[in-house]
Amino acid sequence: MIDLIDISRVYQIGAEKVYALNKASLHIDQGEFVSIIGPSGSGKSTLMNIIGCLDMADSGTYLLDDTPIEDYTENELAAIRNQKIGFVFQSFNLINKLTAEENVELPLIYQGVGKAERRQRVQEALERVDLAQRAKHLPNELSGGQQQRVAIARAIATRPSLILGDEPTGNLDSKTTGEIMKIFHELHQQGNTIVLITHDDDIARQASRVVHILDGKLSEVKI
Amino acid sequence: MRKRLYNRLAWDGIGKNWKLYFPYILSCVLTIAMYYMIKSLALNDGVQAMRGGDSVVLLLGLGSWVVMIFAVIFLFYTNSFLMKRRKKEFGLYNVLGMEKRHLCRVVFLETMYIALISLGLGLLAGVALGKLMFLLLTRALGGEATLGFHLSGEAIVSTLGLFAGIFFLILLNSLRQVRKTAPIELLKAESYGEREPKAKWLLALLGALCLEAGYVISQAVDDPLGAMFWFFVAVVLVIIGTYLLFTAGSIALLKLLQKNRRYYYKARHFVSVSGMMYRMKQNAVGLANICILATMVLVMISATASLVAGAEQAVRLRYPYDLANDGTDEYTAAWLSQKTAEAAAQGAVVTEEVSYSYLAMYVLRQEDVLVTRAVDGSPGGVAYTEGIAYFITLEDYNRLTGESRTLAEDEILLYVSKVDYDQDTLTIFDRTYTVADRVDSFLGNGKVMAYIYPSYCVVVRDEAQLSYLEENSIYDLAMFWGANLDADDETKIQIYQALRQAASEEEGYFGSLECQAWERDELVSIYNGFFFLGVFLSVLFMIAAILVIYYKQISEGYEDRRRFEIMQQVGMSRLEVKRAIRSQVLTVFFLPLAMAGVHELFAMSIILQFMDVLMLASHSIYYITAAVSFALFAGVYAMVYALTARTYYRIVSPNAAVNNIAA
Repeated sequence: MIDLIDISRVYQIGAEKVYALNKASLHIDQGEFVSIIGPSGSGKSTLMNIIGCLDMADSGTYLLDDTPIEDYTENELAAIRNQKIGFVFQSFNLINKLTAEENVELPLIYQGVGKAERRQRVQEALERVDLAQRAKHLPNELSGGQQQRVAIARAIATRPSLILGDEPTGNLDSKTTGEIMKIFHELHQQGNTIVLITHDDDIARQASRVVHILDGKLSEVKI
Repeated sequence: MRKRLYNRLAWDGIGKNWKLYFPYILSCVLTIAMYYMIKSLALNDGVQAMRGGDSVVLLLGLGSWVVMIFAVIFLFYTNSFLMKRRKKEFGLYNVLGMEKRHLCRVVFLETMYIALISLGLGLLAGVALGKLMFLLLTRALGGEATLGFHLSGEAIVSTLGLFAGIFFLILLNSLRQVRKTAPIELLKAESYGEREPKAKWLLALLGALCLEAGYVISQAVDDPLGAMFWFFVAVVLVIIGTYLLFTAGSIALLKLLQKNRRYYYKARHFVSVSGMMYRMKQNAVGLANICILATMVLVMISATASLVAGAEQAVRLRYPYDLANDGTDEYTAAWLSQKTAEAAAQGAVVTEEVSYSYLAMYVLRQEDVLVTRAVDGSPGGVAYTEGIAYFITLEDYNRLTGESRTLAEDEILLYVSKVDYDQDTLTIFDRTYTVADRVDSFLGNGKVMAYIYPSYCVVVRDEAQLSYLEENSIYDLAMFWGANLDADDETKIQIYQALRQAASEEEGYFGSLECQAWERDELVSIYNGFFFLGVFLSVLFMIAAILVIYYKQISEGYEDRRRFEIMQQVGMSRLEVKRAIRSQVLTVFFLPLAMAGVHELFAMSIILQFMDVLMLASHSIYYITAAVSFALFAGVYAMVYALTARTYYRIVSPNAAVNNIAA
């Protein structure tokens, strides 16, 4: 479902050209749980931005569900993000002024989902992350782990084909990290495709496939 | 259904950001109300019909331009600030899949709702308060106010047109900002640390130079006519200087402190210097805005208040006699004397009556020579004039002042207004006179006071000298006649009007009659009009300053929340952190006020030049009003600080508390 073929992304820093991605190729199948691991500055975030349709490659092809991304306009990309990708960020990125419930509801509103169905899906998503009883709370009334669970609920409520996690446990302690990873495993077992980006080896090893990234180049690691 | 969705998002956008939007909407409402008020007053027939109404309407017309320009800049600036604060929110929407055009649609609806609410409430408030303003203005002008509801269609249309335009501009700017936001920036922003600002030495130096130049100009200007132009130059320089000093200068200064190792590496200084650096980076422009707004308020209030306070003195100087006719002839003087006695017999007493001959001529001064147009054409050819010279005889002078001075043939007494005359001699035509003595005022002739050019008042020895001057110049001898009455103002005005009536029927009458009581009303009206406008605009600028302060507190609050946490994490005690932040916030807050005070101090000299033109009687009145207005303003400023500080601490502390518990 994801096909990256010879993707390059170059940043110009002063007079220097820096390859964030250098002819990187990656194939991910439907239902896989893949982790991408690498030190800071290795190109992880760039890869994540490209997979998440937030950034475009300078060269190479990216096929998402067999369609080349380059063919889309900016607005179409927004719609793709909305329908196909569920984002989970390191810093949660919840809207502080909206309740947990409203945060989860937001992408559904964009999709034009009807009110009754919206309510049901929000309820389901929050139940799945075990937060139904906190639905009316504002983000700053929740702990870090709880906030991340809201963010996961928001990501899965739209029933995306891909869940993209960018260091989703980076801001959490080890106990909470365990809880969050448990949710990702459950989602995987239910057939979701998951890509986690991390610099933590323990997290990475929990995936069914680990991809290393170093200086913009990818290499597969067998577990 | 979709339509309802955007509506909901728009209302949510406003509602959920209420802390930001409430003050913004409030200032929109107030600005609209103030514009409507000033416009409807400027167009009001009732105001026009009052004594001095013409000048006041003119002033109000100018005032409405000021409000308009101000509204455009101020609302535009405020909205940009709001949009910047919401960038992250928009970025996130975009990441979650909302298209740019949908974001634009939400922004459009938000702007439209804000515009509708503001215009609705603003006009309502304007109409309601407009009546009050009208009553105040009528009182200020000493007229009789008619009660009753007044709605100015023209003012409403003008207000709607102007603010629809402003909101449209605001919308365009917001849409531009939404278009600019790339979702990726939101994600990147997280990983960037805050960079220490760089010192821009050149800009700091330029700012200091601009400020100094502005100050020097305002001190050096010595010509009330040139003052207008130079005032403008000085204002622009000081504004540029203020912005540069607050932005670049402050950072440069802090960098200097940082380089001073003995100073910098002390726990207290270390934290406050580096803290101030980030704080100035964040707030410099806002602080400069506050400083400039504060200066405008101070200057306007002190200038207009001192006019009002000095009005009575100015009237007495300009119109020293209850009744006067300047530039008349002997026949008219005698006629006036007789008629005044007749009129006064019906309820007033003539307590004093004076008349004297004088020769007045337009002159151009070159060193100690007064050049004027002569009968025979020489030295002639004066293309423009620089002042007026008055000549009277010593006999008249002694008679009127009760002194008994003597002069030699070529000696004179001299009084020069508006400029310094440091020569010991004075030459006119072919005669050079020696200045025997300076006198410190000129016989009650108010025109010397009112005239914006310098006046050279010369007392010559005798008739012979005066005749010589008259024969050589193209001007003729004229008479001044003045009388004081013991009666109330109303009676004086009655007598004045009766005299005017009689004069219009008297064939031999020459000159123009003035009445102190009558002119007092006129002058007081104009000064009160100035004051009214000054207070009106000050209120507007104060609203702006308060809003800038409020937003500054909010944005600082969010910044400080993080610093607060970090400083505690690196081991500073809660109390230390609190003390450090508090002192920084106070410094930042009162810096603009102190700077505004310095600006006002330096502006004094040039403003006094204007005030002289407007016949401010004594400079000490201005000093007093300046000091009082500064004290009042500082009081209001401190009050606003206390109020907005609560919002600030509410942002900073709850999280700090949570953090403490978590740790």
